[in-house]
Amino acid sequence: MTAGAAPAPKPAEPLLALDSINTFYGPVQVHFDLNLTVGRGQIVCLLGGNASGKSTTMKIILGLVKPASGVVRLGGEPVSGLPTPQIVRRGVGSVPEARRLFGEMTVRENLLMGAFTRRDERAIARDLDRALGLFPKLAERLGQRAGTLSGGEQQMVAMARALMGRPKLICMDEPTMGLSPLWVDRVLDLIATINREGVTVFMVEQNASLALEIAHHAYVLQTGRIVLDGPAGDLRSDPRIRDAYLGGQDKT
Amino acid sequence: MSSWFDYTLNGIIIGNIYALLAVGLALIFGVARLINFAHGSVYVVGAYAGFVAVTQFGTPLPLTILIAVAVGALLGLVIERFGLRPLQGYAHIAPLLATIGISFVLDQIMQLTFSPDPRALPSELLQQRFQVGSGTIGALDLLIAAIGLASAGLLYAFLRYTKLGWAVRATAQDRDAAQQMGVNVDAINRTVFAIASGLGALSGLLVGMYYNYIDPAMSFQATLKGVVAQVVGGVGNVPGAIAGSLLLGLVESYGIALFGTSYRNLFAFVLLVAVLVLKPNGLFASRRQTPPEPMTGTFIAPSKPIHIPYRILVALALVAALLPAVLPDPYVLQTLTNAWLYGLAGLSLTLIAGTVGLISLGHAALLAIGGYASALLSINLGVPIGLSILSAGLIAAAIGTLLVFPSFRLRGHYLSIATLAIGEIVSLVILNWESLTRGPIGISGIPPLSIFGIELDTDRSIYWFTLATLVVLAALQFRLLGSHLGRVLRAVRDDDIAARSYGIGLNRYKALAFAVGSFAAGISGGITSHLYSYINHETFNSQLSILALTIVILGGMGNVAGAILGSVLLVGLPEVFRIAAEYRVLIYGLVLLLLIRFRPQGLLGTV
Ligand SMILES: Nc1ncnc2c1ncn2[C@@H]1O[C@H](COP(=O)(O)OP(=O)(O)O)[C@@H](O)[C@H]1O
Ligand SMILES: [Mg+2]
Repeated sequence: MTAGAAPAPKPAEPLLALDSINTFYGPVQVHFDLNLTVGRGQIVCLLGGNASGKSTTMKIILGLVKPASGVVRLGGEPVSGLPTPQIVRRGVGSVPEARRLFGEMTVRENLLMGAFTRRDERAIARDLDRALGLFPKLAERLGQRAGTLSGGEQQMVAMARALMGRPKLICMDEPTMGLSPLWVDRVLDLIATINREGVTVFMVEQNASLALEIAHHAYVLQTGRIVLDGPAGDLRSDPRIRDAYLGGQDKT
Repeated sequence: MSSWFDYTLNGIIIGNIYALLAVGLALIFGVARLINFAHGSVYVVGAYAGFVAVTQFGTPLPLTILIAVAVGALLGLVIERFGLRPLQGYAHIAPLLATIGISFVLDQIMQLTFSPDPRALPSELLQQRFQVGSGTIGALDLLIAAIGLASAGLLYAFLRYTKLGWAVRATAQDRDAAQQMGVNVDAINRTVFAIASGLGALSGLLVGMYYNYIDPAMSFQATLKGVVAQVVGGVGNVPGAIAGSLLLGLVESYGIALFGTSYRNLFAFVLLVAVLVLKPNGLFASRRQTPPEPMTGTFIAPSKPIHIPYRILVALALVAALLPAVLPDPYVLQTLTNAWLYGLAGLSLTLIAGTVGLISLGHAALLAIGGYASALLSINLGVPIGLSILSAGLIAAAIGTLLVFPSFRLRGHYLSIATLAIGEIVSLVILNWESLTRGPIGISGIPPLSIFGIELDTDRSIYWFTLATLVVLAALQFRLLGSHLGRVLRAVRDDDIAARSYGIGLNRYKALAFAVGSFAAGISGGITSHLYSYINHETFNSQLSILALTIVILGGMGNVAGAILGSVLLVGLPEVFRIAAEYRVLIYGLVLLLLIRFRPQGLLGTV
């Protein structure tokens, strides 16, 4: 079983805010006036069926895709004009869809790549130890090429790698995708643990019921529009989520 | 004859020099997904930087090396700035073509500055040789081996143990993910271009010292050798590039030992085509690797021909036909005749590139086949000229299609490199098959153009003949493109994946388009041989291939009228303005660069 949610902190000024975002791929519009906020210390979950625009939301936050209009604010400051590395340097960590490890590099090198923006070598070494404490499995794999690990292990590396940058906010795109049920639980537990240690988490999930167990707040995206949002506890029992969300999933 | 020891040693030394080139190409490909065709130009610039330093300032060797590397690194930054950065978001073939343009410009600048004549690159080092067993080893050999090893070692340490090196590897593996780690991938690009070009310049300097000989024309061969070594070792694979280089060096050296110097490059390119077709990931690729993704994007930009009304085309053809009556100036007529012949080559390439999306970098080979075919048929077998030219078209279509057929399973960059290599192979076979082609002497006394026994001996009659040929073939091509078959061919280009599901038929369509296109090229080569009365293996050289490509891009890919317009502009205008030959190549390079950047769909194309 997954751990319960940490008590939700007061949503003061949000750490992350998406303000009237409209996004296009060529002529195709992917986001329609998207608004969402992520409060400090929270786990916020973006749910939605296949191709509803979840990953694109991640890419907008990380600056990999630029919105046609609208602003992304981080701690109140607009960041949507910045290139990705700059946004990362402002404290956004990323666990990308399908993990995207550097498969030819060792686990250790992957983790240290996560700390690429940092110069404090000693603190990096300490954080590496801490990450290995959190993900003990990885300690024995440090010298192994990341591409040779199992899916669950790769997910751990991806999360540990994101933590190594000491982010304020971690964006995770479908962290449980393709994992066995055992690993799914483990990964969700770890996300809750990371959150309890003070990192805000914004995550995208298709697996609504599990994600809602650890999240504080959730949004439901359907073909580029937020159709539902609220505290995770409310949504868990909200029949509308089934309609809205499963409706989107039918398309797969 | 020297001993095998010497040949092995020579192979390793040359392999070392190639490795310095190939490693840079691999690094650049790794992070930028680009085969940098300007790499050989950097090599030449490195050699000349060393030459100037030594001859003008008498620099000692370590300083000379430092200067060459620094000049090379700076040049690398310039190439990245103009060849790559503005083209982000363009099709992957665009920066490749841009680097071809840059290399034309750089090579021509070097030629204008230092003259095309070869120079000696004296090295105070080292005519000393030491006896080793049955052979000897020179101090220079040792130096080159040491520099090769030291560079490889430094590069390894950099990639393996430094943060920047990790970032280079991370960017090469997954550009987006690297950005999400906070890596500024543009800065990584620049770093890699600087390192790669520094090594390339060092390579040029060492070659110059090794042979005590440099000339600006070394550039293209150097690029090709680097590309061969890299492809053999696996594109983008740094250790593979080193292994591929040593292998290439040894193959060449033993090949020379067995067959003679003129076969050297033949081995290199046969090796390249064999590896491309049989093991496109290189000899040392690990099993799980899939071919790098950019190898798929084939065209520069979507380009649809602007619709030109039939009446206007006919009117233009009439104007062209009546021109000799109005303006009987022989110079103008000869110039336009030349433009019509290049127009035929352009028609040929635009059909192939514009329909099935095969961007050929070795198109001159088809003209060479046609030229030799018509010349030999008429001289050796007494075939009447008109018939010999027609046969030249058919022979070019047959041989050309047979040669590229195995490469049809390749795509994108790989395919273009294969056509480049096949073009070089054709030229080398012509050079070496002396019993048929008279080898380096070339064929002289080719009978002048005639048709049905009537000699075309005036500028006017030749003009009309070439114009008529062009108009007929252009009209046929219009018909073809408008037909059902034309649409099928474009479908092959637009959606290779979907078309692939039709299975084997795909290659047949590619072959068909290639054969039809080659026919026009063969005709062009055939006519040319009778006009020149003398041809050799260099008449139809790689510059012509690139000129043909520039003509086609200028007009718009797949654009019949565009190919002719491109030819008139690129071949005719420089002539009319009497621009000296050495500046023309410079202009072609610049035109190619500007087109790719500002009008990739061509003058007569719309997106
Ligand atoms: N790079 C792209 N270019 C064009 N269309 C894209 C691109 N990436 C995603 N899309 C399209 O945008 C829509 C949303 O995609 P995405 O954000 O990945 O959805 P999700 O993550 O919710 O499955 C889909 O229809 C997808 O096909
Ligand atoms: Mg997704």
